[in-house]
Amino acid sequence: MTQPIANCPNCGAKIVFQWSSSVQTVCTYCKSILVRTDVDLKKVGQVADLPPDSSPIQLNTEGIYHNKAFVVGGRILYEYEQGGWNEWHIVMNDGASAWLSDAQAEYAISCSTPGLRLPATSDIRVGQHYNWNGQMYTITVITTARYRGVEGELPFQYWDKDYVTFADLRSQTGKFATLDYSDEQPVLYLGEFVEFEDLKLKNLRQFEGW
Amino acid sequence: MFSHVYLIYGFMVLGLVGMAQYRGWSMDSMNEVKNVPRSIRDNPGAYRSIYSSYHHYTGGK
Amino acid sequence: MSAGQPPLSTQPAKPQARALHCPQCGGAITLRSFQQAVTVVCENCHSILDAKDPTLKILQQFRAITGELKPLIPLGTRGKLRGTDYEVIGFQRRSIESDGVRYDWHEYLLFNPYKGFRYLSEYQGHWNDITVCKDLPVVRSAMVSSANYLGETYRHFQTADATTGYVIGEFPWQVRVGERAIVTDYVHPPHLLSCEAGSGETTWSVGEYIYPQEIWKAFNLPGKPPEPVGVFENQPAPSKVSVKQAFVAFLALSIFLLGMMALNDMIASKDPVFTSTYHLLPGTPKGETSFVTDVFELKGRPSNVEVKTSADVSNNWIYLNYALINQDTGRAWDFGREVSYYSGRDSDGSWTEGSRRDSVIVPSVPPGHYYLRIEPEADARHPLISYTVSVRRDVPVFKFYGYAWLALFLPVLYVMFKALSFERARWAESDHPITLQTESD
Repeated sequence: MTQPIANCPNCGAKIVFQWSSSVQTVCTYCKSILVRTDVDLKKVGQVADLPPDSSPIQLNTEGIYHNKAFVVGGRILYEYEQGGWNEWHIVMNDGASAWLSDAQAEYAISCSTPGLRLPATSDIRVGQHYNWNGQMYTITVITTARYRGVEGELPFQYWDKDYVTFADLRSQTGKFATLDYSDEQPVLYLGEFVEFEDLKLKNLRQFEGW
Repeated sequence: MFSHVYLIYGFMVLGLVGMAQYRGWSMDSMNEVKNVPRSIRDNPGAYRSIYSSYHHYTGGK
Repeated sequence: MSAGQPPLSTQPAKPQARALHCPQCGGAITLRSFQQAVTVVCENCHSILDAKDPTLKILQQFRAITGELKPLIPLGTRGKLRGTDYEVIGFQRRSIESDGVRYDWHEYLLFNPYKGFRYLSEYQGHWNDITVCKDLPVVRSAMVSSANYLGETYRHFQTADATTGYVIGEFPWQVRVGERAIVTDYVHPPHLLSCEAGSGETTWSVGEYIYPQEIWKAFNLPGKPPEPVGVFENQPAPSKVSVKQAFVAFLALSIFLLGMMALNDMIASKDPVFTSTYHLLPGTPKGETSFVTDVFELKGRPSNVEVKTSADVSNNWIYLNYALINQDTGRAWDFGREVSYYSGRDSDGSWTEGSRRDSVIVPSVPPGHYYLRIEPEADARHPLISYTVSVRRDVPVFKFYGYAWLALFLPVLYVMFKALSFERARWAESDHPITLQTESD
């Protein structure tokens, strides 16, 4: 399969989409946020300077999850009370998209799960229980995070958010879920916590002196 | 580590008991006398017991 | 347009340890945790600075006592713990007060950019390797408070008010000298579960006891580590002393002993070689009272000989001078036995003293032909006394098994005592010391 190639509408640099499922990317040269339409690329926004963060993961980091290889394609950065938080967009070797959440050295992998009834922002409370796909989840924390930027390729359009509400849910069996209230319609991501070692990550960030 | 030492010690104790029973050891002290002549069978009074000169316990509470 | 190198790199620059200057004294500040530091302390003037602020705003200043202990592991030292390299980036001295006495301990913050943070705590030479809990322990408050974590039950050790007295280095959270937190410790040696509740936040961490030699080796520290004092809350009991192991060994040996006893009883021939009854006539004897018995044969290997004496004395005694003489070798065993029996009634009821029977073991008698020379003695005014002398060859002596069992039990008792003293020492400084009157609180 040939990789779609185009030119940045803002600065003309060559833009390569590594995955056909990607809808949005960021031009590494001029930091314009570009969205793919049927015909060409459209600039929809600009990424401000990303805050320096300390995650050991970076674009093109590779890893293994449930015996399937994946590559880190992009990310959304947030900031919250306890510091920085990344939602890394990972692409599995079968083309499917998933999310590797990276906050204060706690890692979780989840996938967007459509088609379930979800509560509105005003209805959620810590301690509530929800039953999805036969598993019970409890809301453990509701966070209001500040969107700080995007990087790389994403499977949907996402930019210029302000403050976003997330509800984190846990199950008794190590399962993890997030209710994402970035848009009008909440999106549910179901997944589980993972250990850094188990992901067998390669091509991690280089830290000077390490 | 302790159990090994203890087991060795334990078996030594058992060995000692076994030996004691086999060889007929006793905890009572016993005085041995040698060369008792055959004539004692005819003349028991001639035998000089170690105890004969002791003043015995004469009874009473 | 060619895909050459972009003129401006828009990727975040490769993270470097930043070198900055203290706004108070101008001293050099080194940040080692790549943007994760929230607070950093100037080593020079002890100003606590906001690490997230580009101007390093001063948050607090404290006076360090002159001669304040330097961290045993200097800041910036790297060491390998559990297969991962860590760098010491922060240090705190914290203390609790109990009965007017201040107890200090030290905490070292370790950092690895890929693995995150870890802590080492040190108290009186005892070290612990600590990480923050991912899952939340479940606390039960019954008669004795306990907490469950990852399948292990931890017993409540101590709840105390901790104050931070000294800080140096950098931390990924807010620190202030003088800040307080309620620290609750639960133990399940060698593990320790600690709950810290301070300024609206509760954090659980789990620690594992680690020996000072391991720390010194991991961080390549010079000299010898300070000797640990006393027993620490989650210090594992020395493996040499294991009560359970000792008991199992003791049980096995006891069973062996029982078996030997049964075997002994079966094997011993208990051969009755001689028995005869005699009568001691009343009155002062005229002439020789001693006599000899018929010759009897003692067979088999050299073993013991049991001589039993029974006499029908009532409130009287009889003394028998025995000599077991080998007819052929002239070797003899000389012994005297007393049989006395007294009984009566007094204000407490009826009493008895003594016994009408006596038994003695002659040791290691070689086989051969033997006879007994007997010389009886009695009270001057004794009545007629009838007495029976029985000789058995090769009898089991059960007394030995009693002593052997005791000899087997004493080491176990010792082990139990040592283990108990160790546990007493462990709990002595806790909220639940072990006292002689065991009151569960």
